[in-house]
Amino acid sequence: MYLKNFLASSVGQKFLVALTGLGLSGFVLMHMSGNMLLLVGAEAYNKYAHAMITNPLIIPAEIGLVVMFLLHMSVALKINWDNRAARGTGPGRRPSNSDKDARFASRYMVLTGVLTFVFLVLHLISFKYGTYYETELHGEKVRDLYRLVAEEFHKPLFVAWYVFAMLILFAHLAHGFSAVFQTLGLASVRNCTVKKLGWTFAAVVAGGFISQPLYFFFFN
Amino acid sequence: MLDSKIPSGSIESKWDNRKFENKLVNPANRRKHSVIVVGTGLAGGAAAASLAEMGYNVKVFTYHESPRRAHSIAAQGGINAAKSYQNDGDSVKRLFYDTIKGGDFRAREANVYRLAQVSLNIIDQCVAQGVPFAREYGGTLSNRSFGGAQVSRTFYARGQTGQQLLLGAYSALMRQVGEKAIELFPRHEMLDLVVVDGKARGIITRDLVSGEISSYSADAVILATGGYGNVFYLSTNAKASNCTAAWRAYKRGAYMANPCYTQIHPTCIPVSGEHQSKLTLMSESLRNDGRVWVPKKQGDTRRPNEIPEDERDYFLERIYPAFGNLVPRDVASRAAKRMCDEGKGVGESKLAVYLDFKTAIERLGEKEVSEKYGNLFQMYDKITDENPYKIPMRIYPAVHYVMGGLWVDYNLMSNIPGLFVLGEANFSDHGANRLGASALMQGLADGYFIAPYSIGNYIGGEKLPKLDTSHDVFKATRNDVDLRIQKMMSNKGNQSADALHRKLGKIMWDKCGMSRDEAGLKQGISDIKNTREEFWNVLKVPGNSKDLNSELEKAGRVADFMELAELMCVDALERKESCGGHFREEMQTPEGETLRDDKNFSHVAAWEFTGGNPKLHKEPLQFDVVHQAQRNYK
Amino acid sequence: MKLNLKIWRQKGPNDSGKLVDYPVDDVSPDMSFLEMLDILNLKLVHDGVEAIEFDHDCREGICGSCSLNINGNPHGPDTGTATCQLHMRRFKDGDTIVVEPWRAKAFPIIKDLTTDRKAFDRIIAAGGFVSVNTGNAVEANAILIPKHNSEKAMDAAACIGCGACVASCKNSSAMLFVSAKVAHLAYLPQGNPERKMRVRNMVAQMDEEGFGSCSNTGACEAACPKEIKLENIAMLNREMLKALCD
Repeated sequence: MYLKNFLASSVGQKFLVALTGLGLSGFVLMHMSGNMLLLVGAEAYNKYAHAMITNPLIIPAEIGLVVMFLLHMSVALKINWDNRAARGTGPGRRPSNSDKDARFASRYMVLTGVLTFVFLVLHLISFKYGTYYETELHGEKVRDLYRLVAEEFHKPLFVAWYVFAMLILFAHLAHGFSAVFQTLGLASVRNCTVKKLGWTFAAVVAGGFISQPLYFFFFN
Repeated sequence: MLDSKIPSGSIESKWDNRKFENKLVNPANRRKHSVIVVGTGLAGGAAAASLAEMGYNVKVFTYHESPRRAHSIAAQGGINAAKSYQNDGDSVKRLFYDTIKGGDFRAREANVYRLAQVSLNIIDQCVAQGVPFAREYGGTLSNRSFGGAQVSRTFYARGQTGQQLLLGAYSALMRQVGEKAIELFPRHEMLDLVVVDGKARGIITRDLVSGEISSYSADAVILATGGYGNVFYLSTNAKASNCTAAWRAYKRGAYMANPCYTQIHPTCIPVSGEHQSKLTLMSESLRNDGRVWVPKKQGDTRRPNEIPEDERDYFLERIYPAFGNLVPRDVASRAAKRMCDEGKGVGESKLAVYLDFKTAIERLGEKEVSEKYGNLFQMYDKITDENPYKIPMRIYPAVHYVMGGLWVDYNLMSNIPGLFVLGEANFSDHGANRLGASALMQGLADGYFIAPYSIGNYIGGEKLPKLDTSHDVFKATRNDVDLRIQKMMSNKGNQSADALHRKLGKIMWDKCGMSRDEAGLKQGISDIKNTREEFWNVLKVPGNSKDLNSELEKAGRVADFMELAELMCVDALERKESCGGHFREEMQTPEGETLRDDKNFSHVAAWEFTGGNPKLHKEPLQFDVVHQAQRNYK
Repeated sequence: MKLNLKIWRQKGPNDSGKLVDYPVDDVSPDMSFLEMLDILNLKLVHDGVEAIEFDHDCREGICGSCSLNINGNPHGPDTGTATCQLHMRRFKDGDTIVVEPWRAKAFPIIKDLTTDRKAFDRIIAAGGFVSVNTGNAVEANAILIPKHNSEKAMDAAACIGCGACVASCKNSSAMLFVSAKVAHLAYLPQGNPERKMRVRNMVAQMDEEGFGSCSNTGACEAACPKEIKLENIAMLNREMLKALCD
């Protein structure tokens, strides 16, 4: 009964965004760590990819992921819509004192979020639904994802876009991950540890992802 | 003859006796009665909330946009109560005695004793509301010392006690608004009182946003509209604080008592230039740890830190060794003025003395000093661009509070039945000088614990036929208001009311300020008359009256100040003695202290509006418990 | 000092409003910002022009009346300072200063720089109190409160309700204001019996008034003249969660 009111309130909706955001953060961290196998070699990576694709839990996990994504985005967009309506009209201007301004990352969460979504769609097209190469692994025919990745990561424009997208993701996570603590009522976003945690998390995830195309482009 | 309606019995039992004698209104009947409350400071907010909780229909009016903006919010230091938590010899009787003595034996004993009694309940009530008073590590309430007392009985919430107490009263008020027990009218200014058949039955207001004039009727009217210190233009009052509600009541027959009693607060930031719009108080609590001094040498132009210890005159400690820097406000103010008159003033204007924290910082460390007074130091720094941790503060006395106000009896009812006056707006409890941390106490005592009883007694004991605002008297009063507004709007001049207000303030400060004499007061009265005439020659109110128009608001208030100022001088002229904040040059001891004349002036001077010269009524003051002595803080 | 002021003039809630240039000279660095406006108004009245309306009262930074977006900064460029405490020594000769009212849908403009902030009162009426009738109180020292909690409560209670948090927020969110009251009473035992109802009702009222939601940007904390901390918002969120189960 209170749950319904809670979810209808602005605080409850932010809570939903935070919770799903936390789930998605977990996903990107796992995804990044797994992909670090790209730096190890073709066999290791393809083995990992195969294990993931053939795991029976992958379908429910993907459904969960999609639901989280949709919730995260739709609620965030709805909140953004409400927030726009709450604003006053008039010229309005940015504060001349930058101390009185909001941090860059926090101001553009919707923009960085939308860009990340665009990236995600393109990303799925290039890889999940990209060219199907085949290779043999211990006598079994498996998808040679490594080859696809290696090909893509040698295209300069692709790499540039990829790195750019990861910087956007960095901005999104840097604010988002620490803001989760505030929204879930765990600690203040101004708390130093929380702030550092957000930056560290974002740096690890984005740094990890960025290291992969750069490795291929320059060293492989 | 003024009947103060003081109950019978010993001083300790008077309030109990009165509560027992009071008529009651049963809970079911309270719903049928309505009360108008004007003002939402400590007194008004507390009274409105309490009456609504009891079941009365309450209408609350304030010219502010929100009840929380009332100027009680700016009180800094604290609130007194005779809790005696510090085990230092305090008691109800001692608080009573200190207050009577602090007021230079010009207050009613019975009122002050009751004030000291209910002070205990006030602290309980405020704590229950969630007021975050300062506490000790054990979780108990903390106290500090204040001027005019040798015990620690002042409760405080950093330097924002008034804010926290007001927010407490405001939250109680808003709770009743939420429960629809109170109808709230923000941005509504009371412009007249409606008196029908000799009883106060309603008010006329102007909606400050739409300009609409409306009439409201009720069974009783409470004025909790604060003081009129802004008659001096420069004071520590808020910009909008004014005398209009009280002055309208005066012109409808309510007596104005002791209008000349003005409190000049010793520790304010000095005036910096002609543009100055108001003065900022530095809490009296600073005198707990700050030491007041001037250079011993006249016209010393050295910077304060260059003046060696033995060339400094800590004059309060020297003249008043027993109380030192914690003498009452009037005493401290006059001493500072004397030093400046002797040519020992400091700063560019030479109208300032130092308030030095060097000793305190050496003793307690900068951290502890900052914990106690950090926000005040910061405020000082913002205004003067000087760091008080390094350079002593410069302070000078400024108008802060008025002890005078509408005359009320023991029940806080004025001579107009049904018109109750609470807080600073009445004259009742502080005599000729108010002690620090007593204004909050009085406002809340009146609002929470006295007015609710008195209103019940009045409504329970009177026949009050229902009155519609279409009644002839309402129409006539409303018409007067319309005419006054028309007069201001159509005035053909080219000056804002502010310009004339500044001029009036200067006259008042020079002639009816910290010290007064016969010639000056007479000159003042004639200057005020001239300024009033000039006001109506040069006043310009642009825009129109059916709109938010702050120039119109100001013009109305200044017009009333112009009239009140004269009455203040008349009262000061009439009172040929020095007492508390009223210092007549002609009447002083050889050391320059106030010299009372108890034989001829141990009375309340209550003035009646006649249209011509105001008529004086005297309410003799009786002292059965305390002995009227020469105040001694040495 | 000579300054070029650009001040928002708007006849009423339905007028579209515009910025009007007012060059002023003879500005003393010791003047407060509002004293500078006073002097401009004296001149305007002298010329028969309607004075600029702006909210102000105590002029010592405690009543919460004054507002003003000064060059986009709520309460001007200084941190921890209300407009009334801002002094002209903060500006340079020849500066252009743009003065606008608070901008938020929940704070409609009444006239010029004056806005209607009654929404805040309604939020307090919805739950920002302890329900204790006059006369009901127990002896004050019967309630022991750890010094630390009482200090925390005081930090939050210092809010002056000026609305700078809303004005600074890109979402016009009132979360800092609401959370300050929720936190003040949540730190104290007196607030305990009603704490769940309080936070639910105050948040519901806040939403109904049309304020936006919190994006944790921290602009409010930076703009707050009383430096109310963002951690209060975390506390409000926590209180909302706790209020889920009853």
